[in-house]
Amino acid sequence: MNRYEFIVIGAGPAGLSGAIEAAKAGMKVLVIDENHRPGGQLFKQIHKFFGSREHKAKIRGFMIGEKLLEEATSLGVEVRLDTTVMGIYKNREIICTKDDKIEHIKGDHILVAAGASENMIPFEGWTLPGVIGAGAAQTMMNLHGVRPGNKILMVGSGNVGLVVSYQLMQAGCDVVAIIDAAPRIGGYGVHASKVARTGVPFHLSHTVVKANGDDHVTSATIGKVDSNWKIVEGSQKTLEVDTICIAVGLSPMSQLLRTAGCLMAEVPQKGGLIPVCSDYTQTSLPGIYAAGDVAGIEEASSAMIQGRIAGAQAARNSGYISDEEFLVRVTDLKKSLGQLREGMFGHEMKGRTDIVKTEEGFTLSKSLLEKGYIDESELASFPAAAACENEYEVHPIIECTQNIPCNPCQDVCSKGCIIVGDKITKLPIISDTATCTGCAMCVASCPGQAIFLVKKSEDGSAIISLPYEFLPIPQKGDKGMALDRKGESVCEAEVVLVQSAKALDHTVVLSIMVPAKYADKARFFRAGGEKL
Amino acid sequence: MIADDMRMKDHPILGEISKGRPVEFTFDGKTLTGYEDEPIAVALKAAGLMVHRYTSKHRKPRGIFCAIGRCTDCVMIVDGRPNVRTCVTPLREGMDVRTQYGVEAK
Repeated sequence: MNRYEFIVIGAGPAGLSGAIEAAKAGMKVLVIDENHRPGGQLFKQIHKFFGSREHKAKIRGFMIGEKLLEEATSLGVEVRLDTTVMGIYKNREIICTKDDKIEHIKGDHILVAAGASENMIPFEGWTLPGVIGAGAAQTMMNLHGVRPGNKILMVGSGNVGLVVSYQLMQAGCDVVAIIDAAPRIGGYGVHASKVARTGVPFHLSHTVVKANGDDHVTSATIGKVDSNWKIVEGSQKTLEVDTICIAVGLSPMSQLLRTAGCLMAEVPQKGGLIPVCSDYTQTSLPGIYAAGDVAGIEEASSAMIQGRIAGAQAARNSGYISDEEFLVRVTDLKKSLGQLREGMFGHEMKGRTDIVKTEEGFTLSKSLLEKGYIDESELASFPAAAACENEYEVHPIIECTQNIPCNPCQDVCSKGCIIVGDKITKLPIISDTATCTGCAMCVASCPGQAIFLVKKSEDGSAIISLPYEFLPIPQKGDKGMALDRKGESVCEAEVVLVQSAKALDHTVVLSIMVPAKYADKARFFRAGGEKL
Repeated sequence: MIADDMRMKDHPILGEISKGRPVEFTFDGKTLTGYEDEPIAVALKAAGLMVHRYTSKHRKPRGIFCAIGRCTDCVMIVDGRPNVRTCVTPLREGMDVRTQYGVEAK
């Protein structure tokens, strides 16, 4: 029987990070994954991550995946793919299977980083081909270059539903609507806004009643739900779609830990049944650790930090690093993890609907929670979104109105115009003293695409610079329509500048010229006025 | 010819989509073309095929659902072997892919 000092189950963000940390300390590490490719879900994440520099913010998920893989390989971490772990037994012996063959492997320390599985909701017709998980949509389009459908209904307005809707549009699909049974949008307001401004409608307090079709989906019937989650009679309507995409949350895939005999707990805020862990990822069984979604649903950024803590813990417990060195390593990691868990989307806040103000005391946008976009009248109360003193100078308008742990805007502004401060959940503010040069790095770097540059001219026109990530990329001189925050045409617009430098990382910054009176409304561009 | 209705050629973030070698395979005896090493389910999806199997008892259609090998909704008969998860099985030249009825071919 083979023996390893550290066995990691799951080659996603948590598992790879744990493997890297332990291998750095000198341990002999094996990573096992049932998939054909390593990386977990990272290679399907084509959006820019939130957080700060140490959390790899503003870097796209798949790039982070490539870096982790490179690092693990260079440290001599062994990765076995297409291999499924069937169980963890006494004395940390694992049994795994590949190509119908079974193998026993012994681990001095084992990190379970098995991730999560998607939740589903049953409804009439939910087994019809054309009803798919949001993860399936990401897999098909972002890994394999095939559109999962043409006309899509997205069910679920959490971050997964919002991000995948946006990615479906990037792939060239038509997202017909996003619905959620809850009365409020569950994910980040900025994610909702970037789909809303392209014209995708949100139907809150709505659920799928039926998937219609004989042998595949040809339409979907949705209906409004009352406060008892019952369909309101007469509210049903039919949407012409070929695909119904389900994004209603994730559950920790903790079965391996449960059957191994770890003490478990049902924690709704963390997505279900999870192992009871110490502050340092240690389960109730000696030598067995848990990190990432398997230990409670969070973001990939948190999973990477948890994985590193687990790797450091295993290295300490096996004598590769001293207690002092361990403390030095994990103190920073714990601080970094703590930052990601702050703000109104931290998991301790999950399910709370009583938050009406930001940390700073600003009243949250109701329109953002119910319609996916901020109403213009609500914007004035947010300092970085209000017009500046001299509107004839180029300046950023930051429509970031919820406390999300994120600060690339501050990080990339070489002039120090944008200030978030040390607490990264704070809303950005504009410096009184620094001067914006219009470099647009903030526009391209904001993972929420919530920053616009605005400059009015004496001649009655205004130039709006906005982030754009769709094909075809408009060209200078192209004419079309400027759309407002809800995706409605407000005026004619002409593209006057297209920036696509490498540093912008595929977020093109489009500058459009509109009449100055629309400067506070125009937030998206549609060439020729056609539908995206 | 490769069916490409659902295939992307270019992507705003990922750039040009590069694929493996084009290979021929058969679906219920009909010759189709896909790309080597992509999941069988992806080649079928690109060709616009939605139904992978019919359930044993009620003969209800099933297709791709999770696309990561967990749900087993997309299983088909591949080279005579039933219950092959087409979403995680790489396409090879000359594969014989058949719709599964219960656990058998028709």
